[in-house]
Amino acid sequence: MTPKNIAGMAKRLFFLRHEKVALLLAGVLVGCCSGVAAAGLSFAIEHLSELCAHAKHYWWVFVLPGVGAALSSLFLNKIVREGAGHGVPEIIYAVSRRGGLLRFRSSFSRLVSSCLTIGSGGSAGPEAPVVMSGSAIGSNIAQRLGFPSRHRITLVGCGAAAAIASIFNAPIAGIVFTLEVVLGEWTAVNVIPIGVASVAGTQVGRLLMGNSIRFSHAHFSPGTWDIAAAFGLALATALVSVALSRMIRSSGKMWGKLPASKMSRAFVGGACVGLVGLFFPQVLGEGYNQIYSLIHGQYSPGLVLLCAILGLKMLVTATTLGSGGSGGIFAPGLVVGSFTGVAYFRLLSLMVDVGHLAPEGCYALLGMAGIMGGMLQAPLTGLFLVVDITSGYEVILPLIVVSLVSSSVCRYFESDSFYLKDLKAEGGLIRPGTDERVLEDLQVSEVLEHNLIPLNNHMTLADLVAQVKSSHRNHFPVLDVKTNEFLGMIDLAKVRPYLFNRELYGTVLVVDIMDHFPPAVSPDERLTDVLELMDRIQAFSLPVISGKRFLGMVSKGTLLDHYRRELIVQTTY
Amino acid sequence: MVNSLLHVFRNNAFGRETFMQSLYFCKTLDFTLRVYIPRHSKFLMYFENEVTQVDLDQSYLSDPETAQEHVEALAKKAGVSVDFLTPKDFTASTLPDVPIGFDCMCCPRSMSDKTSRIGLGYVGPKVRRIAVAAPFPVLVTSLCYKPWNSVAVFFGGSANAFKALSMGLSLSRRSGMPLDLFTIEEGDVNRETLDNLLQAREMTSVVEEGVREWHFLSKSKLEDNLYEIPPDALTVIGAYGHGMIREALFGSKLEVIQSQIINNMMIVGPKCRVF
Repeated sequence: MTPKNIAGMAKRLFFLRHEKVALLLAGVLVGCCSGVAAAGLSFAIEHLSELCAHAKHYWWVFVLPGVGAALSSLFLNKIVREGAGHGVPEIIYAVSRRGGLLRFRSSFSRLVSSCLTIGSGGSAGPEAPVVMSGSAIGSNIAQRLGFPSRHRITLVGCGAAAAIASIFNAPIAGIVFTLEVVLGEWTAVNVIPIGVASVAGTQVGRLLMGNSIRFSHAHFSPGTWDIAAAFGLALATALVSVALSRMIRSSGKMWGKLPASKMSRAFVGGACVGLVGLFFPQVLGEGYNQIYSLIHGQYSPGLVLLCAILGLKMLVTATTLGSGGSGGIFAPGLVVGSFTGVAYFRLLSLMVDVGHLAPEGCYALLGMAGIMGGMLQAPLTGLFLVVDITSGYEVILPLIVVSLVSSSVCRYFESDSFYLKDLKAEGGLIRPGTDERVLEDLQVSEVLEHNLIPLNNHMTLADLVAQVKSSHRNHFPVLDVKTNEFLGMIDLAKVRPYLFNRELYGTVLVVDIMDHFPPAVSPDERLTDVLELMDRIQAFSLPVISGKRFLGMVSKGTLLDHYRRELIVQTTY
Repeated sequence: MVNSLLHVFRNNAFGRETFMQSLYFCKTLDFTLRVYIPRHSKFLMYFENEVTQVDLDQSYLSDPETAQEHVEALAKKAGVSVDFLTPKDFTASTLPDVPIGFDCMCCPRSMSDKTSRIGLGYVGPKVRRIAVAAPFPVLVTSLCYKPWNSVAVFFGGSANAFKALSMGLSLSRRSGMPLDLFTIEEGDVNRETLDNLLQAREMTSVVEEGVREWHFLSKSKLEDNLYEIPPDALTVIGAYGHGMIREALFGSKLEVIQSQIINNMMIVGPKCRVF
């Protein structure tokens, strides 16, 4: 090894170390900003809810959620012109397809809109909006600091982790949610900055909102029978998860068909929620108070009423989110989960002696993990979220059972999680470590081969033979001599019989023997689709056409060369 | 290598003028024309390190049934083949992602503002952001269709001005039209320093061969110098090479130039590649 090589290596190591330090520092910055955003949203929702509570004695109180949702829609669609959904799928799309690029406006838009929706009584959670905000902060900080896309994705993850960590005071859940749901990969490169950001976000949240366990509870000591009962609860939560996911999705489609403006739809939807809230105020807002009562065994309504409230909570959540309100599914999912857990326990108590089981509050915890694990199909996220927000490590064994089984059963009914279903259907999801992910960073223009000899429509077979002698290619595009437009393709494999018949040289034109409608691709085509087409028609190369102009050829050989190079780039760090 | 130009079509009289300008550009420079007929009021462009949202006014969505027909008729008349762009990816259901693999993009003076405001002569914020982030130049058209017969490059010696010069040389070569250089003399910017800079970049002979005339404008007010610019020239200007603070303090020459002359203008941004 020469001194020059050693110097080069030292320089590279130094740079790498610095890059990692820079990433860590940026992670801390992103974590702190996300923490502030989470605290800000939490304060804002609290104060708006208090303000709206003053009106609870008036008959018109039911329109408040409608007004909040309408203002939220107005802000999101007309003022900041965000034009996007609930947030988390957009982040996953950005991570998966766009190198973590998110718009600056996303760093505040969802905070304001979700505050209006939830603060006025809409049934949604502040977590998805704050995750959106944190991720957008991470993306924009990465853009301003000029980080490459792989680090930008990590900083998006830092924002998401810190947001969850801060709003729930749950640092581990933040990390796990980000790695399991948002990024879809666990690597040392990601884990360290995301962990640091999560700590920063949690600490900022604690400084601003106080350090308290959100749902502290009495000590539970679940035994073997509780673990056995957890299997039944897992099945119940799985079914409820599937139902809730489908209700939200169908509600979105149903409200979308209404011939009214987005703002009007949000108003009507919010007002419907408000009407239900007149009779069942428990279903309004985040619903954290309900969870608290359920965990502490202070929830007095009987089983039938409990099930009714559970159904209504699901309905108003679907209405709030489907009609255009802004918010996430974490908080409603937790509320629905705790109701499901307690309902399951009470149902069980009708059938068997539950004296040797843990109290019903324990089942509220288990239900929360089951719903989160089921809806997100991310068992660890559900598990650690509940452990973090309840400090309930003693219930870890049944929690694991509920979370894993619920997630697995949900997968049987729904191939993808709530966040990923639409994304996957639209081709917007590409997970790390797949061919698609590698090819995603390549464009048709990058693999285009230009070293082809074009023929024109006046050329004869003799001209073709002359060109064949001076070319190593098997394909010759035929262009219009006047307009330069693409007319067709000569594939030597197909015209070989003519090449050896000298009598035809002067009489046959290339247009007579060319392929007039060869399969072609456009310059915007995804390379995965190009490869798929090549496999399907058993072609090794395809012409690239824009309008009627021939741009070049794309071949399997060149494509795989670029693939390999891109793979090295993506896996080197 | 066949280059392409992206045109976002607006199906009204103003949009027709802009589109005719794109057709002329493509015909003159042998570009292919990619036309995007918007179906939604906004779209995203994901550049290497930035995402730009373009908000369109309602006039872009008017009468979509006849839009394609109008495009095809105008293109046929001009003898230019058109490829319609259909976004494949969507960030959200009403938020399509428009690809960026083009060599030039045509924008009216302001893509975001209403048609009535376009005459105010202000490069809209979205056009500015595209020009800053895009790997291609932005063609800002004149208010009505105006063929150009020469290329005029504003050259002040900055890194972006060199890029504009290279672009001007390329445009001149491909169109066969003469190229004129315009330098506004101020501070250190004079013939001698620019000659030295050209020599350092080994561009002296290229400029001597490719430039018809090099004009040095010395009036104190920038606006007063612009009378010298030929009215039928495609002006090329390097832009946004400096930061926001400097621009806020000292203003932007680009804004002044484009508000004073109605020529077609090509903005060459800091990340632009020369075709």
